Formats: sequence, structure tokens, C-alpha cells
Amino acid sequence: MNYILEARELRKEYPGRLALRGLNLQIAPGEVFCLLGQNGAGKSTTINLFLGFVAPTSGAAFVNGVEVAAQPLKIKEYLAYIPEQVMLYPHLTGLENLSLFSSLAGFQYKEPELQAYLARAGLSTEAARRRVGTYSKGMRQKVGIAIAVAKHAKVLLLDEPTSGLDPKASNEFSELLRQLSAEGTAVLMATHDIFRAKEVGTRVGIMREGKLVDVRPTAALNAHELEQLYLTYMHD
Amino acid sequence: MSQLTLFRLLLTYEWWHFRAARGLVLLTGLLLATGLYGIYYGTTEIERQRQHLATLPELTHHNVAELQQKFPDSADAGEIGYYHTTYAAHHPDAWAALSLGQRDVNPYYVKLRLLGLQAQLYATDNVNPVKSLSGNFDLAFVLVYLLPLLIIALSFNLLSSEREQGLLPLLLAQPVRPALLVGAKLAFRMGVVLGLAWLLSAIGMGWAGVPLDGRVLLWLVFVTAYALFWFGAVLVVTALQRSSAVNAVALVGTWLLLVVLIPGLLNLGVAAARPVPQGLALTIKQREEIHAGWDRPKAQTMNRFFAHYPQWRDTATIRERFVWRWYYAFQHLGDVSVEPLAAAYARGLQQRFVLVEQLNVLSPAINAQTSLNALAGTDLPTHLQFQSSARAYHDSLRAYYYPFLFRQVPFTHADYAREPTHSFTSQPELPTAYRGLGKLLLTVAGTFALGLVLMRRRAISPR
Repeated sequence: MNYILEARELRKEYPGRLALRGLNLQIAPGEVFCLLGQNGAGKSTTINLFLGFVAPTSGAAFVNGVEVAAQPLKIKEYLAYIPEQVMLYPHLTGLENLSLFSSLAGFQYKEPELQAYLARAGLSTEAARRRVGTYSKGMRQKVGIAIAVAKHAKVLLLDEPTSGLDPKASNEFSELLRQLSAEGTAVLMATHDIFRAKEVGTRVGIMREGKLVDVRPTAALNAHELEQLYLTYMHD
Repeated sequence: MSQLTLFRLLLTYEWWHFRAARGLVLLTGLLLATGLYGIYYGTTEIERQRQHLATLPELTHHNVAELQQKFPDSADAGEIGYYHTTYAAHHPDAWAALSLGQRDVNPYYVKLRLLGLQAQLYATDNVNPVKSLSGNFDLAFVLVYLLPLLIIALSFNLLSSEREQGLLPLLLAQPVRPALLVGAKLAFRMGVVLGLAWLLSAIGMGWAGVPLDGRVLLWLVFVTAYALFWFGAVLVVTALQRSSAVNAVALVGTWLLLVVLIPGLLNLGVAAARPVPQGLALTIKQREEIHAGWDRPKAQTMNRFFAHYPQWRDTATIRERFVWRWYYAFQHLGDVSVEPLAAAYARGLQQRFVLVEQLNVLSPAINAQTSLNALAGTDLPTHLQFQSSARAYHDSLRAYYYPFLFRQVPFTHADYAREPTHSFTSQPELPTAYRGLGKLLLTVAGTFALGLVLMRRRAISPR
């Protein structure tokens, strides 16, 4: 099987701290893999390693079969990233920010297309024309989602993406993820939100102290079982 | 998407950011206004000097008319030499308006009579010392001292602002080389700064009416290289990936070091390393020698004089109580007595200049100022050349008047017109400017090389 994301014995050590201890992970196209775990468990480090933001101490990460450390620029053509806090140029409008980041990704859209991407992410036409400096965190998050979608990436790397979104916007986001997944986009999402993970994830992985300690298909668990499983690992 | 297309896009986005940052637009406008004032100041000052110089022949004619009225027929040449004033004028090159250099502190004309030269050479008009202290506000000042501050204001947060705003993770997640991001940011700022510097230079050149020769290109290359040096410094600081505040302190500190501290220390160091006899000491010694001439036996004075001018040895022995040729002989001997001091003074100044030129590699600001002054013909060597020409002119006046004095030929009205005249126009010191440019280009290359090495050694961190 061809995996769009793969980690082989991926290890990351910072001075005085082992952040990731030999992670092995494969994610197929269309899969939504949710990483659960406490702060410092290694979720963000995993995402940063796939993004090439940090170099692995040993092991390798692959995106679409391309090793991240070998071709850090190439793999970014396949990836879109939504951080926990989407920060944008405050003096530019939502439209201008989307235009800027899409252009950097190699896509030059006309204004109606940009409006459509922002609308799909849940941002109104009026808001899209305002400066981002006036936006709430949730509105910025929506522009971040629009940037990711407009990139037509094969993989979405999401780090607590629904943090700051209201319940309605979170639901819209979940729906969007399901659509993208159905279109073949793979998703790796680090989250604390067990219920969101159950809702949109095809598999969940529980991380603890830099190790992926359990991986389960969400279809085999109900929300309560997933919560119990999570709490069990957190309390051991 | 090709790298070139991406680069163009990045430049467009930099324009968006620049346009939105009202403070930077205002600052750029302020520098433009400051530069225009610098051009106005320089051209006005040079025009004032030109107008002043233009009145000098008129003053001489007026003086001649007075003497012709005072001496209706002919006169003793000694009387004429005593009362007749003429001028050695230092005409500015058109470029002087852009870089006034030492034209404000050194006299641009010298009023001469047939008396001892040295005291006249240093007897200048009084100038307001506070005005001298504040210095010139010409275009060169704006470009050398203020332009780096605009570069710092535009670039101190080249990448750190994105990091501090939390934008870098999203930016670096795009398939764009970080080097291209930094390159585009630098290139845009270079475009703004160099566009401004070239625009001001073009306006200044047009306003000053400089001839369209190689110096136009030399000036532009120099200004470009100087601005690039500061962008190199920005690159080095950016590569260290510190906060905007640290970057600002580092760059302003560099500016203070290179533009204020090193020039000040160099000034003190050079003055200590190359001591120069005081001009006042020279004047006093000459005056004492001249005054002593009244009390010395005339034969002794004349014999010393004839040692310098043997062609007048056979002229009549002086028996009178006062004759002009004796008077001018001891005036002349006053100059002779301070010749070693005068030579040491000029040599010392020249040596100081040479030492400053050798050490200006320590500060591109000094190098730029020295070189632009050399290009405009307003530096110290040019002033020393003018003084040398004034000495030669005074020698020619003596050569003209002495036959009248020693052969006791009456000085007629027609003889005024045959009197030698003086004219000196600044010439650029191009070798100095070229040497300065060579050093500056090496400094620019070194700074950029350091910045690039630092950038390569440490990948840009998104956080």
C-alpha cells in the first residue's frame, strides 16, 4: 500500500529532553489520523518533523514517498498546515492574506475564487474584505483553513485546529474535513478534543512521553470507550 | 511556478506591506524631504560662495581706482604694494554643492598684499563656531549619515516581525525557499532605498548643474555600494535570528559605532599620531621676525635677502632711513624664517589626511565622506593645492613688483593692468575616490559573505 505520510523510527532529541522515541506511523490517502495526548507528549514535534521545521535526530519522515530531510521544499508542495493559532498579516484583508499564501503555494486565484474558498471555510464576504487585524481568533482560523484548502494539498497537518472555534464553526470544520477526506486528502491532526477525534478521525493514536502507545480505528470505539482508553493511558 | 515569478510576487507583497505601514512611508518621505533640503543647502552655500568670489575682481578694480585717484600720475611701487589688495580665489567645482567637504571651514579666498605671505594666508574671516560645529547639511551628509538610519528602520525586523507575529510557521509551510523570502524582502527595501538615493542624486546633480561625465557614474556606484554595505549589516543581523528589539539595538549600535564613535576616535588618534605645528605659532614667529626687522642693521637684512634674490645684489646701497625695498625685504625674510614651520604644517595636514584615508576602512561612513569629498574636490588635499597656488601667486606678485622696487621704476597707471592675476578651480581627487570605492566594495563583499555564511549555517527557525 502507498502511504502519503510515513514515519520510520523517527526520533527527536532536544538538549536534556527526548521528545520523540522511534515513531513508526503510516497514513494512507483519505485517512484522518488523530493524535491524542497530553501537552509534551510529542504530537507537535511529530507535525514539525513532517513539516521539516525541525530535523530528526534519527529515523526519517516521508511525505508522498519523499524524505522530508532530503527535499524539504518538495514535500511542502504536498502539505498544508494549520497551526493552533493561525496568525496572518494584520494590515492585509482576509482576501489579500489568502491571495498571498496561495500565490506562495503556486496558485494564483482571481477574487471570486478566493471569496469562494473563504466562504467554504465559513468566512463572510464582508469579513473577507476587512483587515485581519480586526478578526477574532476563530475568523483567523477560518482564513487558515481556506489557505489550506486552496492549496489542494495531498496532506493536511493540523495542530489543534479547532481551538478557538465556536461549536458551529467546529462542526463546519469537521464537515469540511470529511469532504476533503472523501476527496482523498490525508489528515494528521494533533488534538486534545477526544470527541472531535472520534467524530472525524478514521484512526486515533495515543501518544505518551514521545511514544505512540496505542492506535485504534475509531469505527471500533464509541466516544465513551475512547475517553476511557485515553484516560487509562494518561493515568498509568 | 518559477523562482523568478515567485520572487516578483514576493516583491508585490512587500509593496503591500510597505504601503500599509504608514510610519515607514512617512519616514521615507521624511528622508526625501531631508535630502531635498540637503541639496538646497549645498547649492545655496556654493551659490553664496560663487557670488562672493564674483565680487572679488570688482573689489580689486575699486581698490585700483582709489589708488589711481590717490596717485594721479605715477607712484612708488612700494606704496602700491602696501595699499593694493588683490585676491587668490578658490572657485568650486559644480560637484561641491553635493558634498561641501571642507569648503565651510577653510577659506575659499585669500586677500593678499605684497607684505609677508604667511600671516595673510591664515588671516581668514571670522565664522560662527557654532555653525562650524553643526557642520554641513548637504546631500552627502544625508546619504552618508541619515540614509543608513532609514535602512535600519525599514529592515531591522526583516524576518523577526513575522516570527514575533507568529506568521513564520504558515509562511515556512509553503514551498518557498527561506533564502528567497529574505532575498525578496531585502531586494524590495534596496529598491526603495536605492530609488530614493538615486532620485536625490539625480535631483542634486541637475540642481547643481554638474557636467555629465564619469563622476556621475562614480557617485551613483559609490552611493549604491554604501547602501549595500548597510543592507549587508542587516543581513548579518537577520541571520542571527534574534528579536526585533535586539536587531534594532544591534543595528543602531553599529551605526553609532561606525558613524559617530570610530570617526571621533580616529580624529583624536590621528591628531595624536601626526602632530601638526599650530598655525598661530607660525603667525607669531613670522610677526616677531618682521618686527625685529625694523631694529636690525639694514645691511644685514639686505644681505640675507640677496642670498635669496642674488639678481638684486648690485642695486643701490640703502642709506635712507626708510625705503620700501628694505621694508619688503624684511617682510620677505619673515616668510623665509617660518618656511620650515609652514612646510611642516602643510606636510602634517597631508600626512593626517593620508593616515585617515588608510584607516577609513574601519568605518565605511568615513570612507564614503572622504571619497565623496574627493570626488567633489572639496577635501583637504584640494585646499592644500589652493594654498600652494596662493603662495605661487604671491611669489608672482613679488616677481612683478621687485623690479619696480629695486630698479626704482615708477609704477604707472598702465602697470596695474599688467599685474598677475590668480584663479584656482577645484579638481576632483579621483584616485582617492577610486581607492575608497575599492575598499568599500571589499567591505560590502565581506559583509554579505558573512551574512550568507550565517544564513547557511543556521536554518530559519519558524518560532
